[in-house]
Amino acid sequence: MKRLIRYTLVALALGSSAAYAGDDQSFTAIQKGRDLAILGDCAACHTAPGGQAYAGGLELQTPFGIIASSNITPDRETGIGAWSDEQFYNALHNGTTPHGSHLYPAMPYPAYTKLTREDTDAIHAYLQTLQPVNKSVVTNRLPFPFNIRADMAVWNALNFTEGTFKPDPQKSPEWNRGAYIVEGLGHCGTCHTPKNVMGGDKNSAHLEGASLQGWFAPNITNDQRLGIGSWSEDDLVQYLKTGSNARTIASGPMAEEIEKSSARWTDADLKAVAVYLKDLKPAHPGDNAQPIAADDKRMTAGAAIYKDRCAGCHQDSGKGGAKLFPALAGSAIVQQPDATTLMRVVLQGSQGAGTSGAPTHPAMPSFSHTLNDDQVASVLTYIRNSWGNAASAVAGGDVKSLRKNSPGG
Amino acid sequence: MTSALRSALSRRRFLTSTGVALLIAPAVSNGYARTITGLPWEPNAGDYPKPVVPGGWVFFTGDEGVAVEAIVDRLIPHDDLSVGGKEAGCAVYIDRQLAGSFGDSSWLYMRPPFAKGTPSQGMQSPVVPAQRFRTSLAALDSYCKQTYSGKGFAALGADQQDDLLKGLEAGKVQLPNVDGKAFFDLVLQSTMEGFFADPLYGGNKDMVSWKMIGFPGARYDYRDHISKHNQPYPNPPVSITGRADWSVRS
Repeated sequence: MKRLIRYTLVALALGSSAAYAGDDQSFTAIQKGRDLAILGDCAACHTAPGGQAYAGGLELQTPFGIIASSNITPDRETGIGAWSDEQFYNALHNGTTPHGSHLYPAMPYPAYTKLTREDTDAIHAYLQTLQPVNKSVVTNRLPFPFNIRADMAVWNALNFTEGTFKPDPQKSPEWNRGAYIVEGLGHCGTCHTPKNVMGGDKNSAHLEGASLQGWFAPNITNDQRLGIGSWSEDDLVQYLKTGSNARTIASGPMAEEIEKSSARWTDADLKAVAVYLKDLKPAHPGDNAQPIAADDKRMTAGAAIYKDRCAGCHQDSGKGGAKLFPALAGSAIVQQPDATTLMRVVLQGSQGAGTSGAPTHPAMPSFSHTLNDDQVASVLTYIRNSWGNAASAVAGGDVKSLRKNSPGG
Repeated sequence: MTSALRSALSRRRFLTSTGVALLIAPAVSNGYARTITGLPWEPNAGDYPKPVVPGGWVFFTGDEGVAVEAIVDRLIPHDDLSVGGKEAGCAVYIDRQLAGSFGDSSWLYMRPPFAKGTPSQGMQSPVVPAQRFRTSLAALDSYCKQTYSGKGFAALGADQQDDLLKGLEAGKVQLPNVDGKAFFDLVLQSTMEGFFADPLYGGNKDMVSWKMIGFPGARYDYRDHISKHNQPYPNPPVSITGRADWSVRS
């Protein structure tokens, strides 16, 4: 009897130590996986509006058609409950499913390929702890010929570079951590890097801004005029953590990213991302633009509108008010080559990000009822070319087509 | 505001729903306690007034329109300060108001009893403004024709018109079957509204009254000017629909 007890105790001890070392269902691994899932903002795409978290079904509008996100809860039938760590790693690292078919790069595996195996295992361990949701999603809603998944083998050959992140020994561990987040799990380039005709990243214009889903994700290189060149590391940290800083307030998809993801990152990760972005040189410096003359007719009309409708909040000086009214003078987003975001914000109005660090949710009213297309174009041309700003004029026709394509506009 | 929304906010329904809410609130408040995160917001929100479409009368008959134009031009005569009430569009303003929710009192609680109220309580009557205008203008017309040998109000001389209006205001002129003073008060109030309201409602043509009194119009705030003491405010008036300078002139 005594011997039996001894055997049992040894077995238990072995068993538990084995569990601690190798079983990825340990608390530490799950906790780490949860933090990584937040860092990668997996829930943002893998949750339908009003649906259960991670159960998929969000429709992503791509230039090629609609792709819906998949169910990644551990349901064995409709989710990824039957996947091994290896299979999960392959999906993130190579963009392939356990059946050998290809994922579409709406799932940003071209960025996730940089993740370490340790991190994908941790994320998988966390996802396995979720409540399984039995909900099948038809993910591929693309028209022919894009609905043929085998196309992606060709696409990958042209646009995808497989490979785990390799730290740069010349740079600090903090810089490398930032690079790992920005280029990998954070998948910043998915929105902020322009795409080629196939929807692949234009690596020659890395993080220099791109339009998607009726917004323009601005240049986030360290460019002085078009990027975050005039921001300090603290400005960046504050923006990503709270949604606003002394210059600007996040809106649109970035507000959503901040609220759901970066507001919950650790301070060390936020700092690391800031350090990396501040070191990112643009391939196309944007410092040679000339402003449109102030006596141009579009500018004088824009000035009149600005004075009557905008200056109340953004002030005659264009400086706005810290944390409440974004500054337009010197703003990078105001001077992007593509004015989609500006047109959209003026037409529809906008609600800024709200986080525990900046809970006000400041909002701008819609001007679609009181400004016609040419007036919207004039006032945007004015703000893009005043107070030292310089950017191309906005055309009334562009406002017209955005108004036509925006719901309720 | 849409008519559906308006009816959803009818007073009775509001009172009913409030009453029900008060009754059940104590029972369920514990179970439903929750933290509201974020603030509701939706794109393109706004309940903007529709600008008046220029053109012929919508409510008035031709004769009524002529009479009202004559009245508003005596209440606000053309002088060296501004154009007259007719040119400023006051009659157009009144016409469009009477054709809309002011004319039929559809935004007011209009169920009996109609007790006699105090002066500060406004009209207490089942007779809506559109009806009041119609019967009063008819009474005024028959009074004029009887008193001034067949002439309507518009055909009278300016002095005769002034005397008649003063008589109505003082309660000295009795119109047949109509409260002449109440009608005068209604016309005076409506004329002032037309003269000073935003031009999108049909009056205050070219913001004439705002230019006259120096009112800067539909602006949001004045932080850029609040510390500039003893300096005239530099910006011209602006309507809800803007001003001429907003458009690129070629």
